[in-house]
Amino acid sequence: MKVSQVLKNGVLPGGLAGLAGGLVLAAAMYELGRLDIFGQMAGVISQLAGLVLVLAVSALLGAGFGVLVWYQRPNAGETLVWGLVYGVFWWYLGRLTILPLFQGKGLTWDVDSARAAFPDLLGLILLGGIIGLVHVFLRRMLQVQAEDQQAGRASLFQGALAGLLSAYLLGVAADGQDQLFAFAGMAAGGSALAAWPVILLIGLLAGVGFAWLFTDSTGGAGVGLIRGIAYGFFWWVAGGLTLVPLITGSGLVWTATEVQIIFPTLPGYLLFGAAVALLYQWLGALIRLLFSEFLPGSSEEGLGTQGLRIVGRSGLAALVGGSLFSLVMWQTGFLPRVADLIGSSSPVAGFIVHLAIAGLIGLSYGILFRRQSYDVGSALGWGVSYGFFWAMLGPLTLMPVLLGGTPQWTADAAASVFPNLIGHLGYGAGLGITFYLLEARYSPWWIPRTEVQAARLERRKEQVQTSGPALWTLLILLGLTLPVLLAKGQGLTPVY
Amino acid sequence: MRGASNILTPAFRHDLVAGGAAGLIGGLVFWWALAAQGMAPAVPGLLGLHLLGTGVILHLLSSVLVGASFGAVLRYQPSGYAGTTSSGLLLGLLWWVAGPMSLGPLLDGAGPTWSIVEAQKVFPSLIGHLLYGGGTGLCFYIFVASYLYFRPRSEDLAPLPEVPKTRVLILGGGFGGIGTAQRLEQLYSHIPGLELTLVSQSNYLLYTPMLAEVASSALEPQHISAPVRATCPHTLFHRGEVVDINTKDQVVRVRSGGSVPYEDLTYDRLVLALGSVANYFDLPGMAENSFKLKTLEDATRLRNHIIGLLEDVDVEPFDEERVSRLTFAVAGGGFAGIEAIAELFDMVHGVLHFYPTIQPPQLRFVLIHSRDRILPELGAQLGEYALRKLQARGIEFMLENRVTGAVPGAVLLGNGEALSTHTLVWTAGNQPNPLLKTLPCEKNRAGAVVVDGTLLVDGLTNVWAVGDCAQIPDPYNDGQPYPPTAQHALREGKVAAENIAAVIQGKPVKKFRFRAIGILVGLGHRTAAAEIRGWRFSGLLAWLMWRTIYLSKLPGAEKKVRVALDWTIDLFFPRDIVVTSSLERHPNLDSNPMPPATQEQPPDNGNDRTNAGDGTAGDGSR
Repeated sequence: MKVSQVLKNGVLPGGLAGLAGGLVLAAAMYELGRLDIFGQMAGVISQLAGLVLVLAVSALLGAGFGVLVWYQRPNAGETLVWGLVYGVFWWYLGRLTILPLFQGKGLTWDVDSARAAFPDLLGLILLGGIIGLVHVFLRRMLQVQAEDQQAGRASLFQGALAGLLSAYLLGVAADGQDQLFAFAGMAAGGSALAAWPVILLIGLLAGVGFAWLFTDSTGGAGVGLIRGIAYGFFWWVAGGLTLVPLITGSGLVWTATEVQIIFPTLPGYLLFGAAVALLYQWLGALIRLLFSEFLPGSSEEGLGTQGLRIVGRSGLAALVGGSLFSLVMWQTGFLPRVADLIGSSSPVAGFIVHLAIAGLIGLSYGILFRRQSYDVGSALGWGVSYGFFWAMLGPLTLMPVLLGGTPQWTADAAASVFPNLIGHLGYGAGLGITFYLLEARYSPWWIPRTEVQAARLERRKEQVQTSGPALWTLLILLGLTLPVLLAKGQGLTPVY
Repeated sequence: MRGASNILTPAFRHDLVAGGAAGLIGGLVFWWALAAQGMAPAVPGLLGLHLLGTGVILHLLSSVLVGASFGAVLRYQPSGYAGTTSSGLLLGLLWWVAGPMSLGPLLDGAGPTWSIVEAQKVFPSLIGHLLYGGGTGLCFYIFVASYLYFRPRSEDLAPLPEVPKTRVLILGGGFGGIGTAQRLEQLYSHIPGLELTLVSQSNYLLYTPMLAEVASSALEPQHISAPVRATCPHTLFHRGEVVDINTKDQVVRVRSGGSVPYEDLTYDRLVLALGSVANYFDLPGMAENSFKLKTLEDATRLRNHIIGLLEDVDVEPFDEERVSRLTFAVAGGGFAGIEAIAELFDMVHGVLHFYPTIQPPQLRFVLIHSRDRILPELGAQLGEYALRKLQARGIEFMLENRVTGAVPGAVLLGNGEALSTHTLVWTAGNQPNPLLKTLPCEKNRAGAVVVDGTLLVDGLTNVWAVGDCAQIPDPYNDGQPYPPTAQHALREGKVAAENIAAVIQGKPVKKFRFRAIGILVGLGHRTAAAEIRGWRFSGLLAWLMWRTIYLSKLPGAEKKVRVALDWTIDLFFPRDIVVTSSLERHPNLDSNPMPPATQEQPPDNGNDRTNAGDGTAGDGSR
């Protein structure tokens, strides 16, 4: 790890990317009228000072980002996710910890101060994302990293199709909640005729963007799903909270109270991202199945050969995870509500239904995430990420629909099912770790049997190591902190 | 190579220590941060200890332990500091969920509610845990990296030595051989340099319990056999015949039928799973004039032969040999014989509507058994039940009667009589593979090699034996040998594999122990008899159990689906009477072999049946 190498491959592109991001951030701060506040921090109340400060800090953050990722061979999409996590992390470390200390105010870790600093969170997320993207392109331009596979027309078309389909599904779900206009960034009262094209256009752009960013990524359907959620989150911040309101003239939607109102769009975007990723993967598989030429030597095992083993392992893993979850549900008295699904109201019936659902979801985990975890850490990461995905899809979306209503995506709904989210995280952890332990005992995929296999596995393992941690941390961080910050509950005096 | 067993390697110990140290630093920073806001840190707060002394120690202790757990989970990867820091953040968050959100309220006595209000109360702790996690992750990486910079680990410095190969050779592709190979494949991470080879004459594992149904046209031959290469994808497979086993030089000679006449395979460990072959007890004419039922070819040949007989008989109603042709005899009243005769009975009666000149009373099914009770393994009650059921259908039983020989067209019985038949199925004797006779070790009267409780052959080194070709003592039964069944062979194979792995790793081996779960026999026409752990079942219930249990044990998901479909189709359509190969019919038993299709047929005189009435066959030959 030579210093010159780090400087050239990391600090230089990172710093420049930071400057680029800083410009955007400064513009956003200006729009929010906070730029002079930044200047205040430097002791000079002026917009220019604020601009300089923002640029300087962004360049530093960008350089630090460069040091963080210089050795990786990530593609554009993965660097984007690293940028997002980096931004969120610096909000906690920088904005909530170092800055108040620097200003002599002492640490401000309570909910109210955090809420007041909410626009900075979004700003840093945006900054991180831009740093990530620009960093990759700068490295390509400076030719410090090998040319990765560029997205071909076919994959862009796949992405477009996936995006359109997902946007349609999103629109239908949003319409059911009368949130269609929120997604299109329009004030209520606009015509649906105008809202639908906006949503489909967003979908198209997002789909093409996904294909473009993640074209080089390996990993199974499950990994793609988690990537999609992170991608959807970026679209929410950059699109739903920033670009769309700007274009439609309502200004940036970055304060906590504003975001509270527009919160229903968040699960929508996240699930939209997940749908784009999954559809992209499956459309690709379908197109390969139907249209690709026969390539000698490309025979595949077939999904059925490992099928029974996956079923067995998933079932066992789901039992473990489901038991953990059931503890939470029993403690919070949520079981009778689950029993509602079959028209009963007894906790025992709820427990049985709950275990059945846990088994099915566990089976899907086995299919989506087989051969993706190579140690306890990665198993835990994928598991809790998948648990988070189902926390969104389940209690907020599917359960209300199955009980006869519409998806409940408001901030209050998310706050009320917070215990459910914790339960899902416990479920995911148990599921992931147990499944990994069973794979380790019977078919450890990360130990190669031949040299050919070794090369292939190296690449996959490297990918997991480089992109996995960013994805897991981003999702869980957001899943836990956003509801806490945006719930309408009062900020109580912290105990510990 | 990291397997579940290689836990306490030096690398792991380094990770633990570094994690603990990093956790200490993180804990100190965490403490200071919360104290600066006037809050007590999490752990002492949980127990109500706000005092400086015990509180500090408890807090730091928990920080060290949690940090060590970070090290154990995150593990050091070169240049992986981004991943370690990021995963550290995640772990910190999860500890926040486990600690202040769950354990905290629990210890407070209120019980955790995980509500949003609760979360908002402990939000500062979330930030603290987050930064603790990220800081610990980063420090952990720095510590390990620095340590390795100054004191590189020997395993990182020295080039990895050549891993010596361990060649394990398995002879035989039945349940014993496949069971061994499959388990060894799973254990490959425990056996460095494993090279696994299997030699078998057929390239598939035959599911023998359903062989009778292939002979009776109820199942397709391919559906009850799983290719060895599919069941054992990481095993080198040789299709060939074992010609010689040299245990002194540890070489096995195999004849493959390719361009090379012989191939010599060396081994480090050998597993004998050669199974058993039909034993004719040197009865005159038996091998040439009977059908055995051990392989798919046997079953297919039997099936084609019987249908061919029906075809012949139908067009020659007044042939002298008609009675003989419509008599079907099975020698042996064990499981194989009873299932065979029951299935053949079902088949012939099931397709009789295609052959209008054959009436049911003209058919004769005879089972010849040397003892007075059929199905001796099953117990008196169920044996009686089976006998009554089959007799009620019309199957004849010649009990306490031996078969003493066979000639073309008849079976010679012990009481001096001769039963004229064109079909004799021999299921009355099995013997271990005769190749075992050449081995310099102890063998029992039947010819099976004697092994000890760990399946190691007495008197030979590095040789294990499983299945029908081995005599394995049953500790539950005073050392009496285990019966030669598929369920035993499969489990013996697994234990042999585990013992081989244990021997290579220098770990203790284990004895083979198995209490058979039960025995089931099919009696045709939706009836069966079963005994499971002392519980007896018969009739339709037993038949459903038979089908369910045997379907679940069929190797491979694909074949399960195919067999299930076959059975379902059988519900709606009659059995298939397609003769797939007329050339496979037994040449000696049939005095009028069908001419091959390519030969010219003699001129047709109109109605063949009229010609046959003259006593001559329609084709002019006799």
